[in-house]
Amino acid sequence: MISGAGVYFDGKTSARHDVLIDAAPGALRVCALDGSVLAEWPYAELQGLSASADVLRLGRLNNPVLARVETRDPALAAEIDRLAVTLDRSGTAERRSRKKVVAWSVAAVVSLVLVGVFGVPALTERLAPLIPLSVEYRLGAAVDSQVRTMLDTSKRNGKSFECGAADDEKAGRLALEKLVGRLERAANLQIPLKTIVVRRDEANAVALPGGHIYLFKGLIDKSKSPDEVAAVLAHEVGHVAHRDGTRSILQAAGLSLLFGMLLGDFTGGGVVVIAARTVVQSAYSRDVEAAADSYALQIMAKIKGDPRALGTLLDRIAGAIEPGVKILLDHPETKARIAAINAAAPQITPQPLLEPDEWAALQRICG
Amino acid sequence: MTVLDTRFAVLPGAIPPAIPPDERSVRFVGDVHSYWWLLIRGALLLLVTLGIYRFWLTTDIRRFLWSNTEVKRESLEYTGTASELFIGFLIAIAILIPLYVFFFIISLNLGVFGQVMSVIAFPVLAYLGHIAVYRARRYRLTRTVFRGVRFHQTGKAWLYAIYAVLWWTIIVLTIGLAYPFAQASLERYKMRNTFYGNLNGAFVASGFSLFWRGFPMWLLLMAPLAVAIVFPLMTVDWDAVRSVNYSGTSGEEIIKQMVSRFPELYAAVGMAIIGVTLFALLAIVLFPMFQAITLRWWASGLRFGEVTITCRLRIAQIYGAYMRFLGYTTLYSLAVAVVIAAVFFGFRAAIAAGPRSELAEFIVGAVSIMIYVVSMLGYSTIYQATAKLQIWIRGVESVALTNTAGLDLVTAEGSASSAVGEGLADALNVGSF
Repeated sequence: MISGAGVYFDGKTSARHDVLIDAAPGALRVCALDGSVLAEWPYAELQGLSASADVLRLGRLNNPVLARVETRDPALAAEIDRLAVTLDRSGTAERRSRKKVVAWSVAAVVSLVLVGVFGVPALTERLAPLIPLSVEYRLGAAVDSQVRTMLDTSKRNGKSFECGAADDEKAGRLALEKLVGRLERAANLQIPLKTIVVRRDEANAVALPGGHIYLFKGLIDKSKSPDEVAAVLAHEVGHVAHRDGTRSILQAAGLSLLFGMLLGDFTGGGVVVIAARTVVQSAYSRDVEAAADSYALQIMAKIKGDPRALGTLLDRIAGAIEPGVKILLDHPETKARIAAINAAAPQITPQPLLEPDEWAALQRICG
Repeated sequence: MTVLDTRFAVLPGAIPPAIPPDERSVRFVGDVHSYWWLLIRGALLLLVTLGIYRFWLTTDIRRFLWSNTEVKRESLEYTGTASELFIGFLIAIAILIPLYVFFFIISLNLGVFGQVMSVIAFPVLAYLGHIAVYRARRYRLTRTVFRGVRFHQTGKAWLYAIYAVLWWTIIVLTIGLAYPFAQASLERYKMRNTFYGNLNGAFVASGFSLFWRGFPMWLLLMAPLAVAIVFPLMTVDWDAVRSVNYSGTSGEEIIKQMVSRFPELYAAVGMAIIGVTLFALLAIVLFPMFQAITLRWWASGLRFGEVTITCRLRIAQIYGAYMRFLGYTTLYSLAVAVVIAAVFFGFRAAIAAGPRSELAEFIVGAVSIMIYVVSMLGYSTIYQATAKLQIWIRGVESVALTNTAGLDLVTAEGSASSAVGEGLADALNVGSF
C-alpha cells in the first residue's frame, strides 16, 4: 500500500489539514497526523479536479460540500490514478468527449449552412407574398432613402440625381412614362411603379421593394433601341411582380439572425456575418434573375416589343466591360443567360414601342 | 527544483519581482508554452465549428489561469463547465431573439413610435449588457473554489445595471473625468456583495486617488483635442461659410468659394486633422500606463475581511506585456501579408488563364473570408497569449497579502448560480474572460 503526504480541506471551512493519504484497497483514506481518519472515499467516487500541473486534486462525486484532497507526491498520484478507473488524469475521456463536441458542432454548422442556402430562400419565397403591401411600401421607402444616399452623385457633379426634371429633359420623361405605362398595363401589378432615371454612368438598373425602379443613365446610353430599354424595365418589373426586393430583405434578416446566432454576435453585425451573407446570397440570385428574365420575355411579347432585345443589350454590355467589374450585379453568367433568353423568346413581329422623336427624347432624358 | 525555479525557467527574461520571493503570497506557476498550445488548438477548433467551441475554450482558459494562480501555496480552482456556458448561451438567445426581431421590425421606420423605439434601443441593450456583466461575475465567482470553499456574490443585477448606466452617462457628459468615481462606486457595490465563504469583501480605494493620478494624462489627451476643436471654431468665418452657394454646385466649387472668402480654411482643417491624429496617437501610447495605474489602484483597494491587498505593479511591466504582443503581431502580420500576396497573384493567374465563372468568383469570396477569419483568430490568439496573459501574470505576481490568517478559518457559504449572465454577456459581446 502506497501512502504519501497531502492536504485536506473538509469543505465546511477553509482550514488546511496536513494529512497522510493512504491508497488503501477499495477506498482512499485520508488520515490526520494524529492517526484519526478524516475521510474515506471509494475509488469509484473520486473526481479529478483542475489544479496546477504538479498537483493531484481530488473531490468526491455528488458530495454536497466541496471537500478536497491534494497531493504533490508523484508516486502516490500515479497509484491513485491506477486504482481509480473514473479518474482521467491523462485526459483520454475528456478528449473523447471533446471530439464528440467538435463533431456535432461541425454537423450543426453544416446543417445551419444548408438551412441558410436552401431553407431560408424557400421560407422567404413563401413568406414574401404574405407580407401586406402597406408593409412593403414602408420597407420600400426605408430602402429607397438608403439607396439614394448610396448612389447619389449630385454632390460630386452638382446636377440633380434624378433625370427628367429640367425643361430640356421633360420630353424624355414623357417618353419614359409612355414606355413604363405600357409595361405596367401589360403586367397588371398590385403595386404602382415608381420609375426614375438616375445620373449614374454604369449600365445597370435596380428594383427595390415597393415598386421603386432605378434606371441608370449609363444603360440608356448603351441601348440602341426603345425595345432594349423596355426589356430591361420589363426585367425589373419582373422583380417587382415577384416581390424579390422584399424577399431579399427577409433573406438578409434571416441569414444575419442565423449566422449571428452561431457566431454569438447579435449587435455588432460583424464583418464575417456580412461577408458570409454576401457569398450565400449571390448563390440565390441565379434562379431569381432567370425568373425575372422569363417574365420580361412574356411582358415584351404582350406589348409587342422585341423579346430578344434583352439578349442583344446584355451582349453589348458584357462585351464592353472591363474585367473584374460585375455588370447587372449578381446576374447569372451572361453567355448562358443570353442563350436561355433567345431560346425562350416567343416568335412575334415586333412593332415600334416609341416614335423616333420620343426615342430621341428618352436618350436625352439626362440632358 | 522548487516551484519558483520552474517559474523562472518558463519565463526567460522575466522582470524580477518587485516583492522579495518569501513575502509573496500570490504566485503564478503556469507554463506559458502549454497556454500557447491550448489557445492555438482552441483557435483551430473555433474555426471548424464556426465559434461553437468558444464555450469549451473559455472554460479551458479559465481552468488554466485559475489553477496556476497560487495564493499561500494553494491554487485556485475553476469548477465551471463548458456545457453550463453553452446552456446559458441558449437561454440568452431565447431572451434576445424576440428583442432582436422587435428592434428589426421597428427599425423599418414605423412612424413616430418606431423612431422613439430605435432611440431607446441602445440604452436598453446597454442596460441588458450591464445586467449580463454583473450576473456573469456572479457565475465566475461561484465557480471559483479556494481551499474547498467557494466565492459567491449577492446584490441585485438590475440595480447594479441602473447604477452602471447612470454612471456611464455621467462619464460621457464629463468627457471621462467621472471615470475614477464611477469605477470606485461600482466596484464598492460589487465588492460589498462579494463573499469568500462567510468572509465579506470590500473596496476601499477612493475615486480621488485615481482621479489625481489620471488627471495629468487626461489633460495631455485633451490638449490636442481642444486645439482640434477650438482653433477651427475661432478661425472659421461663419458668415463666409453661410454665404457660400451650396445648391447645385460641386464640392470643388464650394471649396473654391470658401477659400476665396477666407483663406485660413486650409489652416483650420489642417489643425483639426493634426489635433485629432495627435489625440489618437497619445491615446494609444498612454493606454498601457492608464491600465497599469487603474489595475494597481483597483487591486490595492480590494479587501476580504481583515485581509488587505497591496499591488506593486509597475507601469513598465504593462508596457512590456504590450511590447511582446506588438513583436508577435508584427511577425504574424508579415506572414499573413505573404499569404495574401501569394493567393492574390495565384488567383490573378488562374482567372487570366481561364474564363470568368461564378464558381471562380465564389471561390475568391470564400478564400477572402477564410483569410480574414484566420488572421483575426491569429491576432486574438496572440493577444490572449501575450498581452492578456502577461498582464495576468504580472498583476498576480505584484500582489502581496497581509493579515492572511483570516483566510484560514472561513466557513463555507453560498451556492452555484446559473450561467445565463455569461450567455447574455457572450451574445451581447460584453464578456471579458
